Amino acid sequence: MGRPLIHRSPMPGLGLSMGITLTMLSLVVLLPIGALLLKGANYGLAGIWETVNRERVWAALFLSFRLSLFAALFNLVFGVLLAWVLVRYRFTGRRILDAAVDLPFALPTAVAGISLTALYAPNGFFGQMAAEIGWKIAYTQWGIFIALVFVGLPFVTRTVQPVVEEIEREVEEASATLGASRLHTIRHVILPMLTPAALTGFALALARAVGEYGSVIFIAGNIPLVTEIAPLLIIIQLEEFNYDAAAAIGIAMLLISFAMLLVINLIQVWSRRRIGYV
Amino acid sequence: MHIEIDEISKSFGTTAALHPVSLSIPSGALVALLGPSGSGKTTLLRILGGLEFPTSGRVLFDGQDATGLSVQERRAGFVFQSYALFRHMTVFDNIAYGLNARPRASRPTKAEIARRVTKLLELIQLPDIGARYPSQLSGGQRQRVALARALAIEPRMLLLDEPFGALDAKVRKELRQGLRDIHDTTGLTTVFVTHDQEEAMELADLVVVMSMGRIEQIGKPQDVRAKPKTAFVREFISL
Amino acid sequence: MSDITVTKGAPARFRSATEEAPLARWAMIAAAVLGLGILVFAPLIAVFVEALARGVAASLASLATRDAQEAIKLTLTIAAISVPFNAIFGVAAAWFITKFDFRGKAFLITLIDLPFSVSPVVAGLCIVLMFGANSLIGGWLVANGFPIVFAMPGIILATMFVTFPFVARELIPVMIEQGRAEEEAALTLGASGWRVFWTVTLPNIRWALLYGVLLCNARAMGEFGAVAVVSGKIRGQTATMPTTIEMLYQEYLSVAAFSLAAVLALLALVTLLLKTALEIRHADQLAATHRH
Repeated sequence: MGRPLIHRSPMPGLGLSMGITLTMLSLVVLLPIGALLLKGANYGLAGIWETVNRERVWAALFLSFRLSLFAALFNLVFGVLLAWVLVRYRFTGRRILDAAVDLPFALPTAVAGISLTALYAPNGFFGQMAAEIGWKIAYTQWGIFIALVFVGLPFVTRTVQPVVEEIEREVEEASATLGASRLHTIRHVILPMLTPAALTGFALALARAVGEYGSVIFIAGNIPLVTEIAPLLIIIQLEEFNYDAAAAIGIAMLLISFAMLLVINLIQVWSRRRIGYV
Repeated sequence: MHIEIDEISKSFGTTAALHPVSLSIPSGALVALLGPSGSGKTTLLRILGGLEFPTSGRVLFDGQDATGLSVQERRAGFVFQSYALFRHMTVFDNIAYGLNARPRASRPTKAEIARRVTKLLELIQLPDIGARYPSQLSGGQRQRVALARALAIEPRMLLLDEPFGALDAKVRKELRQGLRDIHDTTGLTTVFVTHDQEEAMELADLVVVMSMGRIEQIGKPQDVRAKPKTAFVREFISL
Repeated sequence: MSDITVTKGAPARFRSATEEAPLARWAMIAAAVLGLGILVFAPLIAVFVEALARGVAASLASLATRDAQEAIKLTLTIAAISVPFNAIFGVAAAWFITKFDFRGKAFLITLIDLPFSVSPVVAGLCIVLMFGANSLIGGWLVANGFPIVFAMPGIILATMFVTFPFVARELIPVMIEQGRAEEEAALTLGASGWRVFWTVTLPNIRWALLYGVLLCNARAMGEFGAVAVVSGKIRGQTATMPTTIEMLYQEYLSVAAFSLAAVLALLALVTLLLKTALEIRHADQLAATHRH
């Protein structure tokens, strides 16, 4: 109660830094998001529900969420493995591998999108191989899955890597002296220590995948009800100048984002309270 | 258990951490490896525990060659300098860890594990902390939990790396007596590493003074104090 | 003393307590190499293979067309405007957050991070709703000859939205770690606020700042979803490199699309290279999570 809003400090630049921060945050982020929420408020809950509660929209939201979940799960497993390999093992090419993990962050999504399509299309390098066994990847949900794995790849690895680096060797040694096999140590000592970071990375990858657009639309085929993702629906509504419907779907997606942000924060609070570190 | 160290040497790359050393530790003894940092005492302890493999030489447990035994097979109760408690487990789960890690066939029942953990908590005189996490304990409590965890596997010997190193002077004195008591009740052959000559002299039956990877002197505390064998020992214990 | 290395001359069966069996180790390394090979290296190589499918000359010719040139120019312009703005924001926000204690700090950080968890398409939608010709502000601006949506300001805003947290996120952990002592010392020696910033703070955070700017720039030049929504994709006017790639690709101009994509891929590679160099050279002055 008695805590002042801003503690007195001898540091200079309070007004300037606070002014720039709050002004730009409002102008660039908060006001536009507010505009979306306002639009939704004007449209009304009933209106939003009416727009969202259509087969095509549900299908798109469900598709986006489901495939994002699968892709994030894949990245959870592969990302932890990658973090472990990059920190613990020394082999030629490790640095290149380490740098390559960030490529999905650095490579523009449209570039990734057309490139993945070229690879997995029926006449593409991997597409041909898959076609041999009658497996169609591009223009099916498999294609979307692969694109979402690509964009979410760095998250788990990059959150888990520093935690692996910080594991004290003595803790692993202690487990061994108590008679635990290496596998037991990994399962009961190492993985629990990595869990909070891995879950954070998982949630970040999931959030990213749900909203992903650029890398997906080329490979998806965009068939309504089958391979049409939620962000694309917004674009379609906008192209038809159907702003209310676009806003309704946008709000639905925003709520999913907020929910995930909340989950990430809860994970961090939980792990801090339980283990005393993140 | 009688421990025989036979011409053990250890080098990391080109630097020798241990020149061939030999040492016989009688069953039930409480031995201090005493020396400054870099004297090879921790390396020797880690070799006993199976955490490090000697470059040459043998380790014998009760006359049996144990050099090739893996860490898991050695059943050495090891207490680390940093205690290395599992931060994501309660004190109870920490102590029960070694029992739970056993293969199903030799694993005690849950009730039996609980009984043993409770007994160990009583032994370290902290009967009520089973549900706490390591981050909620004081340094001295952590050390005792680490000791209980090592004892839970019914070890054949007890190895402690600077067990009192991270504690303040007052707690250190108390825990010294605690270790002595536990040694006396369990009768385990116990080896601990220390750089504190007072601690070694007060606690140990046998003091092994080490320097630069070599054993300078082996003897009862009063003998080492009365008749230092080398200039190094004389200087080190007079500090 | 407790250095953990595999002992030379140890028998084959001895394994350090902190290592996996060699077979498991190799299997995991193989899985990592194979996974990254298929998921990351293959798409990267494919960009260049497709771009050069009809030879270097065809590829270069497609980059010399007016549309391509305009797209490159526009993308560079947008990055040149939005990145400095975000850098200034990042420094100001990091200063405000790390040099002062106030209520709601955690909430402010969450708000700054918000754009990372909002879909770029939704970001674009927000800007259209705020500044579009149908909105209150947008209508007034259009009437006064300053349209935002389907014009450059909209693209800049969309780009700034999606890249908003980059610089601040890099700087905050570094500045928390560095603490306030050096600035306080400078103040006691009589330095003015600006002088403290230029001579004490900035030298301490310059590599982290560069790191953030690098990532911010890569994303700014490559942003697609948000820009696609607000730009209207008017050729030669509001089509950026990524949106031009889309249009070319949909017109089956594969070489042209991939040639432009290859330019962006090269930018991504240069970004990664510089980033890795920073991580190796100036690890001590970056956020702890980037140290290897």
